[in-house]
Amino acid sequence: MLAFIQSLLDGILLGGIYGVISIGLSLVFGVLGIVNFAQAQFMMLGMYAAWFAWDSLGLDPILGVPLTGAVIFIIGYAIEKLLLQPVLKAPPVAQIFLTVGLMILLENAVLLIFGSSFKSVVVSYQQSGLKIFGLFISVPYLFAFSAAVIVCIALWLFLSKTWFGRAIRATAQDENAAVLCGVNVKQVYALTFAVGVALTAIGGAVILPYMTVSPTVGGQFAILMFTVVVLGGLGNVAGALVGGLVVGVIQSLSAMVLPVQLQNLILFMVFIGILAFKPEGLLKEA
Amino acid sequence: MKARIFAKAALCVSLLAVSVGSALAADNVKIGMIQPLSGPNSVFGVNCQRGMQLAVDMINEAGGIKSLGGAKLELVPADIPTPNTAAQATQRLISREKVSGIVGHFVSSSTLAASEVTERMKVPLVTFAFADQITERGYKYSFQVTPKGTVFGADQFNYIYDMMKDHGKAPKKIAILYEDTAYGTTQAKGLRAAAQAKGVEIVVDEAYPLGITDANPLINKIRATSPDIVFPVSYFNDALLLIRGMRQQGINIPAVGGAAGYVINDFRKGLGEYCEGILSVASSNQDLAPKDFVDRFEKQYGVMPTHDAISHAVAVDVMAKAIEKAGSADPKKIRDALAETNTCDGIASAIPGKCVVFDKNGLNTKTFPILVQWRGERLVTVYPKDVATSEPVLPQ
Repeated sequence: MLAFIQSLLDGILLGGIYGVISIGLSLVFGVLGIVNFAQAQFMMLGMYAAWFAWDSLGLDPILGVPLTGAVIFIIGYAIEKLLLQPVLKAPPVAQIFLTVGLMILLENAVLLIFGSSFKSVVVSYQQSGLKIFGLFISVPYLFAFSAAVIVCIALWLFLSKTWFGRAIRATAQDENAAVLCGVNVKQVYALTFAVGVALTAIGGAVILPYMTVSPTVGGQFAILMFTVVVLGGLGNVAGALVGGLVVGVIQSLSAMVLPVQLQNLILFMVFIGILAFKPEGLLKEA
Repeated sequence: MKARIFAKAALCVSLLAVSVGSALAADNVKIGMIQPLSGPNSVFGVNCQRGMQLAVDMINEAGGIKSLGGAKLELVPADIPTPNTAAQATQRLISREKVSGIVGHFVSSSTLAASEVTERMKVPLVTFAFADQITERGYKYSFQVTPKGTVFGADQFNYIYDMMKDHGKAPKKIAILYEDTAYGTTQAKGLRAAAQAKGVEIVVDEAYPLGITDANPLINKIRATSPDIVFPVSYFNDALLLIRGMRQQGINIPAVGGAAGYVINDFRKGLGEYCEGILSVASSNQDLAPKDFVDRFEKQYGVMPTHDAISHAVAVDVMAKAIEKAGSADPKKIRDALAETNTCDGIASAIPGKCVVFDKNGLNTKTFPILVQWRGERLVTVYPKDVATSEPVLPQ
């Protein structure tokens, strides 16, 4: 029983991270209607930004979240204005080519700048864990999860309480109506994309204490991100969080009874099963 | 007008000079270098490249290939990040770059893919990779300077078992964790067989995918079964995840790594003080290699040469000696010279056992795995006793 609770707990801690890196993807799709294949590469950029801040300023990756978020926000804003805006009304094929191209560009640009070697940070709590009622909680996982939860709450407040958040939701619901009400939708698109990629980057930054970063790290998460988003309902922000938790828990629990090699097999079997009965995903349009 | 004639004359003279120049110096002999220079295993590839380049530099400075009029060796790199790009890159080295031989690849599965091409196109391949299949297919053009993967696995177990038995506490139950490509599976096979032969119980025997991002399920299995020793066979990322994960949960069970990720400088950097005392098997080590090579490596790159760099330098030296003996840049003649390799000097002597002699399958019969241990920033050889440079610090 204890082993079950332990696995469940590990899965939740892991799933929170999956959630926060996937929310950005869902947000961008929900508002801009673009499937951003380069989303996982922004996570990689976030990890590098956090690593760079740690390496040059000695900033802890988790405390450095505002800085990482701000840097990637600016990069995302510029990319949307320069590259995505022109293809927003273009056929989907053009959009796919653009974001896939962006993915290759980002990976190789980072490869040129930082080289191919793995970077990891050294922080004091890296090897420590807590023991509560016989359950082990890894401190870096706990910190990453807590940071993810705080970021999610901040996003929720932003979307529901601020004027700009409401403008984003209005644009997602009906672009024309939003324009008629005086919303500058071009600005909304740029800001949404910037917020979306910054969220994913923050998700990357907070896991840096237990992960290593290399230019290709995004690839390890890309499929998981798309699974999480589709599972939770495309374009649904809360759904992405739920999807993340579900994926984390499935991965963790399946490893209890089956070889670790098969954890993604179980995940995709459950995924296909859920889609067969609920093709719109776990949560309906928010 | 005058100026133009002068320019033409100058051009003729310089062209003449160029052609005379190239006729005097012997042509370079090209050796293809296949390594993962980008992608998840690049941390190893860069290491290997350094070792290979240094070996080439040292051979060239000592006069190059004397039987070819002092011809210089030239490394032609090909980046092979994943096994599915291996065949194409190897083909390009052979057909376009016209290399005389190929050295590499660090990753077993990529080496296997490349060896299909070298065999078909009749170009010799000298490799460091461990997987048993490399020398078990009856290939004529593949040569391996290191022991086989199953031998590494068996000794990874036997060495520590013998050492602990000498101290009166032989392990009773063990855990094996391994990455699920060619390298991990063959080495785990050797480990498993050795443990069974000694009647030791294997409480965890788990393969995991190479790109694993969360090691907690594996750690939970370790904690639930509390083995006496953990034997992980991993590349780099997974090695860090496993050791960090164990330490986070306060599991202080000793780990004896299976080379690759456990014996590189980045592993120590990533773990800091928690690296101290970690044991691993290795194909060679800095304290058994020629001093001039080790010193120069450290001076040039600022880090200790690890076994991947050293054993690849050995592979280059073996290839160079075969070219010397063949007196030709023709791949087929070099292959025949390689098959008769019997060398115990130069950089090649860095390999444990000091000598390289290939059997009919191209496997080096003279070498054996060693057990190394982290002491501060260096790796020291602690077993077998006749080559050890330090006493092992045994896990308590």
